[in-house]
Amino acid sequence: MPHPGTLSLDHVGKRYPVHGGELEVLRNVTLTVDPGEFVSVVGTSGCGKSTLLRLIIGLDGSYEGDIRLDGARIRGTSLERGIVFQEHRLFPWLTVEENVALGLLRSRLPEAEKRRSIAEHIALVGLAGFEKAYPAQLSGGMAQRVAIARALVNRPSILLLDEPFGALDALTRAALQTELQRIWQAEGITTILVTHDVAEAVYLGDRVVVMQPSPGRIRRVLPVPLPHPRDRADPRLADLERNVLDELAGLA
Amino acid sequence: MSAPEPVALTASVRLEWPAFAAGRLLRRLTGASVGLIVPLLALAAWQASAMGGWLPPQVLPSPAEVTALLLAMLESGELRDHTLISLSRVAWGFGLGAAGGLALGVLMGLSRRVEETVNPLFVALAQIPPLGWVPLLIMLVGIDEALKVLVIAKAAFVPLAINTLKGIRAVPPHFVEVGRVFGFGPWPMLTRVVLPAAVPPIFTGVRYAMTHAWLALVAVELLASSEGLGYLMVWGRQLFQLETVLVAMAAVGLIGYLLDRALAGVEARLQRWRQIGAGEVGAGGAA
Amino acid sequence: MTGRGLVLPALLLAAWEAAHHLGLSDPRLLPPPSLVLARLGREAAEGGLWFHLGASLVRDLAGFAIGAAAGLLGGLLLGLWRGFDRLVGPSFHAWKQIAVFAWIPLISVWFGVGEAAKVVFVALAAFTPVVVNTHEGIRGIDRRHWEVARVLTLTPWQTLVRLVLPAALPSIFTGLHLALIYAWLATVGAEYFMTVGPGIGGMMTEGREHFHMDVVLLGVLILGVVGYALNHGAAAAEARLLHWRHR
Repeated sequence: MPHPGTLSLDHVGKRYPVHGGELEVLRNVTLTVDPGEFVSVVGTSGCGKSTLLRLIIGLDGSYEGDIRLDGARIRGTSLERGIVFQEHRLFPWLTVEENVALGLLRSRLPEAEKRRSIAEHIALVGLAGFEKAYPAQLSGGMAQRVAIARALVNRPSILLLDEPFGALDALTRAALQTELQRIWQAEGITTILVTHDVAEAVYLGDRVVVMQPSPGRIRRVLPVPLPHPRDRADPRLADLERNVLDELAGLA
Repeated sequence: MSAPEPVALTASVRLEWPAFAAGRLLRRLTGASVGLIVPLLALAAWQASAMGGWLPPQVLPSPAEVTALLLAMLESGELRDHTLISLSRVAWGFGLGAAGGLALGVLMGLSRRVEETVNPLFVALAQIPPLGWVPLLIMLVGIDEALKVLVIAKAAFVPLAINTLKGIRAVPPHFVEVGRVFGFGPWPMLTRVVLPAAVPPIFTGVRYAMTHAWLALVAVELLASSEGLGYLMVWGRQLFQLETVLVAMAAVGLIGYLLDRALAGVEARLQRWRQIGAGEVGAGGAA
Repeated sequence: MTGRGLVLPALLLAAWEAAHHLGLSDPRLLPPPSLVLARLGREAAEGGLWFHLGASLVRDLAGFAIGAAAGLLGGLLLGLWRGFDRLVGPSFHAWKQIAVFAWIPLISVWFGVGEAAKVVFVALAAFTPVVVNTHEGIRGIDRRHWEVARVLTLTPWQTLVRLVLPAALPSIFTGLHLALIYAWLATVGAEYFMTVGPGIGGMMTEGREHFHMDVVLLGVLILGVVGYALNHGAAAAEARLLHWRHR
């Protein structure tokens, strides 16, 4: 089993130099994500939620404040932190299997172990039988599942998802949200999901972090004290959704 | 991605390879001047070699000699004369070949029957490089202007025909349907729908045609000419006066570049509508 | 290719042949297909043809290999190393404006008119398209794929082998395809200008000088066939190696 990590953000800020000054994209973001917890981050465009994820994954190294995984300051990218982007970003010249294997390229596991992990994770995302398919042959939803398998195959301590289902149609999105919930329950991995879909955020998260823009900062953190797996029809979910929407509307 | 992405972000995507720290340092220097470093170094090395006498002047004349010759030729008008002769040949050949290629491309593009009948022969003949036609043409028309113009015309003909055909075939059927809905007859359809829509690939063909035409000109002037830039090079070579060869080479490069730039400018103006709208209208996008 | 496509060439050949038999054309100036084919038969049997063709092809492939390899290296450097691109890029861009045939007089002075000079010229012709297309291929790699490589902490070598080369492969192949064509053009051109030694170009020039039109036409035919073969071979190789695009 992967060991779920603790992520702590301490007064994290980010500025970009722009023509004539500076653009403050994030300010004073402080948050701790407990091991195995599922945190959803919602907000409108410009609230910096994607930027925050890029800082955590290590694609951008300059920021103010502190980002620590299990107490250690993060440095650049690492196999300890996995990410699923909005686009599946699979390499089109590799099969499903080979794409997932990419996640283990830097791992020191013996070959047999690697093969097992790859097969397990392909099965985990429900794509057993599609190992030899090429991305061009897959639907959007299937490709995104492969991306999830790729992110999980090296058993990271934390999984980040940046609007992973934003590019999919509503029906596929709903199906994958349920899938994600199942996978998360099976793996028990610390997860942060960034989305602009409030229903998705509330359905999946243990806590919902509402962000406000200009500059991006945390407005409120709403707990979702419902047990998993959740039922979409649960009226308490609808209430929570309304709460979040009110928070967001309060910014309009 | 929902957050706006400033340009600064893309700069950090290059890999952090320690060996390329030197490259990063270079990046900090002002952009344009960096490009001059290599030419200046080369020039310095050239001058040093000339002064040190490392190579005989027949093999590599000094920069001073070349510059002196260049100035002399400019003053006497010799360079201008040869350049104009070369340019006029290209103008005729290109004009002929491009017009012919365009016509053939349009005919093949509009009618599948014509394409099926003519294309195989066209492709077969196109396989033979322009230079390949030279011995044949020399025997048929001699080594006068006709030879040069014909070879250049052939060089320009092929890319234009191919690109025009492709361009017409690539016109989105949506546009043709719009024309039909508004009752366009064949002529308005051609001039208001098909040709304007096919302009981008056709123009690509025009640029290729020019490049090949210029290339063919140089080749044919090297082979069989008594004037023009190609001839200058041959003459300089015969007399082991490499200054002449180098000056002519520079002229060839410069003119070739200017011709291409001029066409690029025309292309940009013709396609201004592409810059103004965001993305393309028609093929599935929102109007 | 439908039957229609063969009609026109067949008619032309028939008319050409007929014109000869009717005494309308001078066989020295415009020998009919039958004579050209007869010449083909003779040359092929006596071995002269294979000798010339072989010499040309060897030069072509040698020059192509050298030029393409150097071009690949150059294109990789330009595409992957920003500093190199800024340093050398503008000079290369200016240098490649010079029409490739303009180099012949210079090359003939520096390298003479033998094999070396011809191969150098062919390599030069093959070099440019490979550099340009490789460079473009690398620059065209989706930034988002670079990020995946970083997120998966791939080493520079792994990134090169598993991302850069496969992603740039379509462009690289376009460059190699063009280089193949240009190299063949350059081979024939080199043979015209540096007439020492065997080769198709030399064969054609000799034919012309001795007014053997049938030899000239034979040469034209061979040029066409080899050009076609190279073109198709390259296209087929491209299609096979890039099959993952077309599924």
